[in-house]
Amino acid sequence: MDSFVSLFHGFSIALQPANLLYCLIGTLVGTLIGVLPGIGPLSAIAILLPITFYLEPVSALIMLAGIYYGAQYGGSTSAILLNLPGENSSVVTCLDGHQMARKGRAGPALAVAALASLFAGVFATLVITLFAPPISQLALMFGPAEYFSLMVLGLIAAIVLAHGSVLKALGMIVLGLLLGCVGTDVDSGALRMAFGIPGLFDGIGFIPLAMGLFGVGEIIRNIENGHHQSVMQTKVRDLWPSREDFRRSWPAATRGTFIGCILGILPGGGAMLSSFAAYTFEKKVSKQPERFGKGAVEGVAAPEAANNAGAQTSFIPLLTLGIPSNALMALMAGALLIHGIQPGPRVITNNPEIFWGLIASMFVGNLLLVVINLPLIGLWTQLLRVPYHLFYPMILVFCCIGVFTVNNSVLDVMLLMVFGFFGYMFIKWHCEPAPLLLAFVLGPLMEENLRRAMQVSYGDPAIFVTRPISAVLLAVAAGCLVLVLLPAFRRTREVAFQEES
Amino acid sequence: MPPIKNLNDVMVGLVLIAISVFALVLAWPLKPGTLDAMGPGFFPRSLAVIEIGFGLAIIAQGMLKEGSPFERWFPRQIFFVLASIGFFAATIDRLGSVVAVMGTVLVSCLARRETRPIEAVLVAAGMAAFVVLVFRVGLGLPLRIWPWGYVY
Repeated sequence: MDSFVSLFHGFSIALQPANLLYCLIGTLVGTLIGVLPGIGPLSAIAILLPITFYLEPVSALIMLAGIYYGAQYGGSTSAILLNLPGENSSVVTCLDGHQMARKGRAGPALAVAALASLFAGVFATLVITLFAPPISQLALMFGPAEYFSLMVLGLIAAIVLAHGSVLKALGMIVLGLLLGCVGTDVDSGALRMAFGIPGLFDGIGFIPLAMGLFGVGEIIRNIENGHHQSVMQTKVRDLWPSREDFRRSWPAATRGTFIGCILGILPGGGAMLSSFAAYTFEKKVSKQPERFGKGAVEGVAAPEAANNAGAQTSFIPLLTLGIPSNALMALMAGALLIHGIQPGPRVITNNPEIFWGLIASMFVGNLLLVVINLPLIGLWTQLLRVPYHLFYPMILVFCCIGVFTVNNSVLDVMLLMVFGFFGYMFIKWHCEPAPLLLAFVLGPLMEENLRRAMQVSYGDPAIFVTRPISAVLLAVAAGCLVLVLLPAFRRTREVAFQEES
Repeated sequence: MPPIKNLNDVMVGLVLIAISVFALVLAWPLKPGTLDAMGPGFFPRSLAVIEIGFGLAIIAQGMLKEGSPFERWFPRQIFFVLASIGFFAATIDRLGSVVAVMGTVLVSCLARRETRPIEAVLVAAGMAAFVVLVFRVGLGLPLRIWPWGYVY
């Protein structure tokens, strides 16, 4: 019950006017970028990261989290009304949501999406409340060997659940680790690969790297192919779903929530994976699978519930183990690090206001989102008319000014340019840069723990397999790698990701 | 030499190898230390070696396995978007945020032929005003506004 007492404390923080305001801003921005195709939560958070530097750490995290789950809501709006996924995790919502809209039932589709998300959001918050403290207790028993193995597992699992070639993902991970080495070595104080440039003595900036790879790279990609938008004129009326809709959608939303909660916690998981899994599962268990793709309300409820639940529970590994499970969480880790807070098991005990404040804000934010979304839907669809060719220069300015103001460093802006080019290159060559970012964040931690573990064991690498927890973690990692290389699993994985493209 | 089946993979592999060879050269003077007392060179050096291995494997994969077709690059878009960031980097310190922001918008607008000049100028002016008001006046950051005067 302690957790619930703390949760109340969290509410007292989340409901402070300033934090309420940042929560509102975050959810509004999230909805906005969710609605707009061409800019996802990853790039939006990367772009807004520098601004949070000037906020209290709690407020910063509340706002960034709001963007993440807000984007899940907003994404469904453009998916349903325009058959255009505002961001990746609403791709499957297009399938049935847009069909409902075509039959004149856009209102109920939007309402079901919002209510399913609300339900999932509230449930996922409870899951975090119950499970995060015990996991962090467990993590406190971890030594350097365990931490190293855990990070290996995190990185490997991220490959299994990411799409594209396994080899290329591995290559990206090692590249991320290498980039993480640049700067001053913590143990010896030696400068590593810094070219003697003082701006690099603290290492490559996380913000220019993230913003370049995901923000700038994507902008170039978006403007090269015209980016035409067709706005469908649908009058949204009769928001309230029928009794029949309710009957069909609540079990689907419940199942979606469960799937989302579990897949969100897994390393490499998160909103996108959850929504795909939930849709596929729903189709499997349905008595009339032929209705899917033709406007089945379950096909809206399940993935929308799942992506919201997944978005929220993916905070668990970050806040309890200090391991970001996907690139977005790596950005959150970056936000914490900017404020001098090391993500990990100690966050709950040392910074309870951050942990519980964030969780309570998810509760508040989900309620805000229903209020923002349903009555204001007309407004959001109007926004889709802002032409991208006037929008992208603004994003670029925000990128530049954001990168520059963090350290008043011109070098960081140059790095933004370099990584922007790399981002574009990787997109063009079908190489997912997300594992790179994850590895970049984990790299220094991994090296530190590797060194410490080897010191403790007097240079005997057997320490990683003789310590039981570490051995189990490594075995799971090896299992994941074997699994992904097995031909049968490989085929299903490819099929699963095909539905997406 | 057999025909390359997936140019994407081959290119990724080559770039990874190039980067890791470069890293290896940079990390060469650093002491690797021993296993029980690793020096600063141990981690980067082993990573670079591992990465060369992955790079070779990715090239091999690209030689043998079919993949998605190689996409066309768009030099105009790449150039002007990156140039706009370069313009910002070159001017923000000396010439101040008004020049830097307006320049960034105008240069980046060149990336698309369809954008009308008047639109570009309006967006540029709007952004400059917004940035000065929010970042300098609102948040009080030490940003130079005009090319003359003091930062603080």
